[in-house]
Amino acid sequence: MQQLDNQEILMKLKSSKQFWDIKKKIKQGFNDQQKIGVNDIQKFAQSCEIEDQLIKLISHILKKSKKRETLKEDQIEFLNTSKIKWTELLFKNLDIVHQKTKNQEEDDTNTDSKLYIYDEKNLLAFLQTFKQQQHSALYQNVQFQSNKLLNINIPLKSSQQILDKYQYLLLQEELQDEKINKIRKQIENEHLDIELEKIAQTFVPNGERCLLYLKYFEFDHQETILQQNFTKLQKECLNQLFYDELLEIDGHEISEDTFYFVFQEQILTCLKCFIRDKTIKENIRIQLQNGIKKEQTEFQLPITGFFPFKNISKYVAPLCYLSTKIHIIYALFKEFFCRYFCFLHAISSENNSILSLCMQIEEIISTHSPKLFHHLKVIGCDTLKLIIHQLVYCFVGDMDPPHILTIYDQIIGHDSLEILVILCVGFLNKYKSKLLLAKNYENVQQIFQELREDKFQELVQFAYKQ
Amino acid sequence: MQNKKLKWKSDFEKSVIIENFVNRGWIKSQEKEEEQTDWNVYWATVWNVRNIFNPKNGFRLNDQQIINHFPNHYELTRKDCMVKNLKRFKREQDKEVLEIFNFDFLPTTYIFPGEYSLFVEEFHRNPNQTWIVKPAARSQGKGIFLLRKIQQLKKISGTTVTSNMTQLNLASKENYVVSRYIDNPLLIGGKKFDLRMYVLVTNYKPLKVWIYNKGFGRFCNEQYTTDVAEIENMFVHLTNVAIQQYSDKYSQKHGGKYSIDALKLYVESAYGTDALNKMMDDIHNIMLTSLKSVQAVIQNDKHCFEMYGYDILLDSNLKPWLIEINASPSLTTTTPVDKNLKMNLINDVYNIVLPNDDFPDNDQKQQQPTKVGGFTLLYDENLDPNNRKTQKRQSVKIWK
Repeated sequence: MQQLDNQEILMKLKSSKQFWDIKKKIKQGFNDQQKIGVNDIQKFAQSCEIEDQLIKLISHILKKSKKRETLKEDQIEFLNTSKIKWTELLFKNLDIVHQKTKNQEEDDTNTDSKLYIYDEKNLLAFLQTFKQQQHSALYQNVQFQSNKLLNINIPLKSSQQILDKYQYLLLQEELQDEKINKIRKQIENEHLDIELEKIAQTFVPNGERCLLYLKYFEFDHQETILQQNFTKLQKECLNQLFYDELLEIDGHEISEDTFYFVFQEQILTCLKCFIRDKTIKENIRIQLQNGIKKEQTEFQLPITGFFPFKNISKYVAPLCYLSTKIHIIYALFKEFFCRYFCFLHAISSENNSILSLCMQIEEIISTHSPKLFHHLKVIGCDTLKLIIHQLVYCFVGDMDPPHILTIYDQIIGHDSLEILVILCVGFLNKYKSKLLLAKNYENVQQIFQELREDKFQELVQFAYKQ
Repeated sequence: MQNKKLKWKSDFEKSVIIENFVNRGWIKSQEKEEEQTDWNVYWATVWNVRNIFNPKNGFRLNDQQIINHFPNHYELTRKDCMVKNLKRFKREQDKEVLEIFNFDFLPTTYIFPGEYSLFVEEFHRNPNQTWIVKPAARSQGKGIFLLRKIQQLKKISGTTVTSNMTQLNLASKENYVVSRYIDNPLLIGGKKFDLRMYVLVTNYKPLKVWIYNKGFGRFCNEQYTTDVAEIENMFVHLTNVAIQQYSDKYSQKHGGKYSIDALKLYVESAYGTDALNKMMDDIHNIMLTSLKSVQAVIQNDKHCFEMYGYDILLDSNLKPWLIEINASPSLTTTTPVDKNLKMNLINDVYNIVLPNDDFPDNDQKQQQPTKVGGFTLLYDENLDPNNRKTQKRQSVKIWK
């Protein structure tokens, strides 16, 4: 980790507007006093919160200077070997898919929805296999709970901690115009990510959301670079890859969605550029696949270091609302994926990983709604199987775009995917009474096939309902 | 709720009309063709309305009858009449000291055959301009084409047309309207769309207008292009569902219909809140100005109400343009979302025109709330007839 020395920190401070504002305030505080000691300045700074502002500014600079490192090794060795196994499995799937597409070449309609490398069900099924690994180290000090689908000894935050962290959402009321205007001005003037996170946790006006995201990701003065990078990638798309075909097929579902069908072509273009983007491998927070190309396989991993999966289009779709410019949409999608969504496909013990999130959900439901948990198990429809789709795709397709964008705000606001745990719990609680009457999996499917409207605030309320 | 059993009659076998009647427990009128008294509420075709109000038939509606069109609605809903009335109203307003109305939403339009020579002059002044030719009284995109050369008018004249002709003889008796084609429409995902919005008028004198909060964009299935080679490709240029449904890319699931809520989210997120508010203000202006322009000519009748389908095109500057106003907007439902919208729409219409299943007296009409279901009161001349601008500002807040 690269550490800045004091001289470098000072240089960076001097290039920031806030530094000069703070300096001005201090000067004004002392008027024309001739002799000012360090202690005097410190006392003054402490008395009017300038010290706090300075600390935030310095920590922001230090955070910015840290080169993002991709997590490759997990602290739990078993998960490292599992990741390799997962990658091998995906290579096999890729071969099968490729064979299927060759067979269908005579057929003009390539809309077979089974033409994907993996989906969320495959992912969950793979995670379930961990239970069968009776590795002694894994089960040390763990009360074997055979009723849970996932049962691994990984460091897990207490579910109460997560529930407590998001409880403030219950108190959120509709804001008056005056307050909204204040937030608008804040977003326009703010640069520190800590402050932007605070705003994102509270409320983001639709008109300023794109600006907040761009500022948070430090893209706000980089439009030309973003455009140039995107144009380069678009040129590379002229060379067809096999994965392009899979992406086109993936786009069929989004082309049927009443909220996203208008963006179909843009989504496909973004994804085609994405799988050709060399910078993703170094920017992504966690390595998703880990495997050596075997001799028998025809294809390599894409340059991103991971395979595109079913419904990858869903991650791009909501961001299409934020800008008329495709290079901006692309930049936002890339950043969201590299920072957050990647964890939803990571075999890892990290807090944000799909494994941790699933275990948190099982933990909360089994303790807070044991009747439901047990009933679902009995009728052959485990809790996780019910919500895995909503979890992995952040409720895209289940909630209308304004609510999805609120989820994205919360993800940025807490630099975490834990909000999805709250929403999944809320989702299950909302339909609890109907689920308890279901006698089998078909009944359960019928419940969710009915026209329904799930809303962000509503699911939060249900998450905390006893 | 009184749950009075009113008698209904409908010329349309549309589920959204009939189910709404049935859900209220109203009874279907069993009247014979020649009788016109056995119904309380009639969802009629425009032709039957014309017959009912034809003085030669000597028929008068009673106090317990209400019908869904004004006698001469065509002043607003025929393309040529709408243009004529707007131009006349503008001329009248130009003489006024106060500029209350903004007319900058109608593309330059000429009515054929009468204004043909004026059109030719304008055509030659702007050789790069594309024009759109539409029959004045047809629907569903029928007979519409884009014009780049005068010779193309052979389509409607039946004989060769040259650019030095000063008169145009049309093959059929119908009028045509020829408008400047807005070739820079707002595109989303590279495709052109127009907006369908619903407006309910319950009275013309004084004017009382309601606007519905749900509407939709109707999208073309092909990427938009101004390429001359594609000028006859209706899948690029004409947004009518009746046309787009024949495209290979047409989807039964969404029918090319994009909700107005989604559009507003897009405009606000991508262009800003101020841009969205201005766009909505401009749309409200179009509705009010167009209705005001026919206020003096429409035969007001207390037995009438009318639900219009406004077709509005947004250009790349987010400026809305009035395409046309439909007296009988389609009540066919193409998707589940569409059915939901139209069921609620008709339900809310009845809640306004027949609150509590009864015919409201004047006092009750005046005391109506400003929001009924998805309808918000856009303008009520009774409230403040001299201060239309204040009304507009208030209505923006209500809309949001």
